[in-house]
Amino acid sequence: MIDVKNLNKSFKSNHVLKDVSFSVQQGEIVSLIGPSGAGKSTLLRSLNWLERPDSGTITINQSTIVAGQESKQAVFDLRQHSAMVFQHYNLFKNKTVIENVTESLITVKKVNKADAQKRAEAILEQVGMSDKLHDYPSRLSGGQQQRVGIARALANDPLVMLFDEPTSALDPEWVSEVLEVIVAIAKQGMTMVLVSHEMRFVHDVSTRVILLDEGTILENGSPDAIFNHAQHERTRQFLRKVQQF
Amino acid sequence: MGELFSLDFMLGLFPQVIVALPKTLMIAGISALIGLMIGLLVALVRYLNIKGLTLISKVYVSFIRGTPALVQLMLVYYGLPIVIKIINLQFKTAIALDLPKDVFAILALSLNAGAYMSETFRSALQAVDVGQLEASYSLNMTTAQALRRIIVPQAFAVAIPPLANTLTSLIKETSLLFTISVVDLMAQGRIIASRSYRYLEMYVVVSIIYWVVCTILAKGFNRLEKKFRKYERGFQHD
Repeated sequence: MIDVKNLNKSFKSNHVLKDVSFSVQQGEIVSLIGPSGAGKSTLLRSLNWLERPDSGTITINQSTIVAGQESKQAVFDLRQHSAMVFQHYNLFKNKTVIENVTESLITVKKVNKADAQKRAEAILEQVGMSDKLHDYPSRLSGGQQQRVGIARALANDPLVMLFDEPTSALDPEWVSEVLEVIVAIAKQGMTMVLVSHEMRFVHDVSTRVILLDEGTILENGSPDAIFNHAQHERTRQFLRKVQQF
Repeated sequence: MGELFSLDFMLGLFPQVIVALPKTLMIAGISALIGLMIGLLVALVRYLNIKGLTLISKVYVSFIRGTPALVQLMLVYYGLPIVIKIINLQFKTAIALDLPKDVFAILALSLNAGAYMSETFRSALQAVDVGQLEASYSLNMTTAQALRRIIVPQAFAVAIPPLANTLTSLIKETSLLFTISVVDLMAQGRIIASRSYRYLEMYVVVSIIYWVVCTILAKGFNRLEKKFRKYERGFQHD
C-alpha cells in the first residue's frame, strides 16, 4: 500500500530524515513514535507532500512520486490517496461544519452540491457530529473540531489516513472521544499511519510501531516487540520517560 | 452683512453645496473599488512572492506612502497626457488626450488608495493561519482555489477596519481635486463662497458634510465587519 524508499529531508543544516525506508500493508495501523525532533511529523507530512523531501521515493497504491522531479499530477495522485488529520484541526474557519466536509468534494472532485451534502451528512453522522452541521468551528470544542477534521479527511475516500498528533492539542477531557472515532474507522479496515504520544492508545490500536530517533528508524515491529522487548537501550529509555505516569 | 458669522447664510449654503456630493462620492467610490483590486493584487504578489513583480510592488507602495497625495495628483495630471502621447507615437494608436478631469482624479486616487490597501491586505493575509493553506493543499485544492475560497475571505474580514480607514482618507482626499478643476464638494463650496466672500461659513458647511459622510461610513463598516466575522467566536453579539 505504502512504500517509502530512502527518504531524506533537511531544514537548512538540520538533517531531519536520514535515508528512511519503510512500507505499510493494506489495513495496517502503523504508529510513528519517538522523542521530539526525531522527524515523525516531517515523515508523516511528506506522505501528504506537505513537506517536500530532498530525495527518495514515496509510493502509495501504485502512484509513485520521486522527490526532486515530482509532477503536479504525481502530487495530486498522492494527495488523492492519502488524507491528513492535523494536530490543530485546521478546519476552515469561514466554513460551517458541513461546508468543511463538502468543500473538497465540490471544488476538487466536482461532485454536485446535493450529493456532496448527502455524503457529508453521512460521514458527519459516523463521527457523531450530526447535530452541529451548520455551526462554525469556533463554536465547537476541540474534540468536536477534531472529529470534523476526521470527517473532512474521510470525505475524500482516501486509501490511507494520516494522523499528525490528533489528540495532543486537546484538553484531556476530549481525548477519548477522538480516539474512539479513530478506533471505529480503524475497525472498518482503513489503513492508517499516525504520530501519537498516547502510548496506551498506540499499544492497543497499532498493528505495528515504528520508533524514530534522530531521523532514522530505530525499531520497527509489533507493539509487543517494541513495548516489551525493545532491541535498543535508547528505545527503553524513551519508553520509560513517556510511560512513567 | 456686517455680521462676523451668519448662521442663516450658512444654512442656506447647504443645498447649494450638497449638489456636489454625488460627484465626491462617485469619484471616491470608483477609486475605492479600483484601489481595492490594485491592493489585493499587489498584496497577493507579495504573499505568493511572485518573482519579478515583488520588487515593482515594493517600490510602488513605498513611493505612494512616501509622497503627498497632492503631489501624486499633479504627477498624474501632468504626466498622463505625456504617457498617452508616447503610447500613441510608439504604437500608432489614437488615444484621446483631452480625457475628462474625473479620469485623472480617479487614476490618482486609485493608485494612492491601492498602495495603502495593499499593505492592509498583506498583513491580513499573513494573519490567516498557515494551517488553513495546508489543509487546502492536503485536500488537493489549488493555490487559486485555496485563496479564493478560504484565505482571502478570512483576510478580508480581518482587513475591514483598516480598509474603512483608507476609505475615509480617500473621501477626504477628494478635497484636493479642486486643484485640477474637478467640481467636487470642496470646489463647489469655493465657487459659491467666492460670490459672497463668506468663506468661513462655506468651510463650516463643507466640513460638516464630510464629517457626516465619514461617520455614516464608519458605522456601516462596523456592521459589515460583524457580518463578515460572524464565524468567529465573540462576533455574533454586540
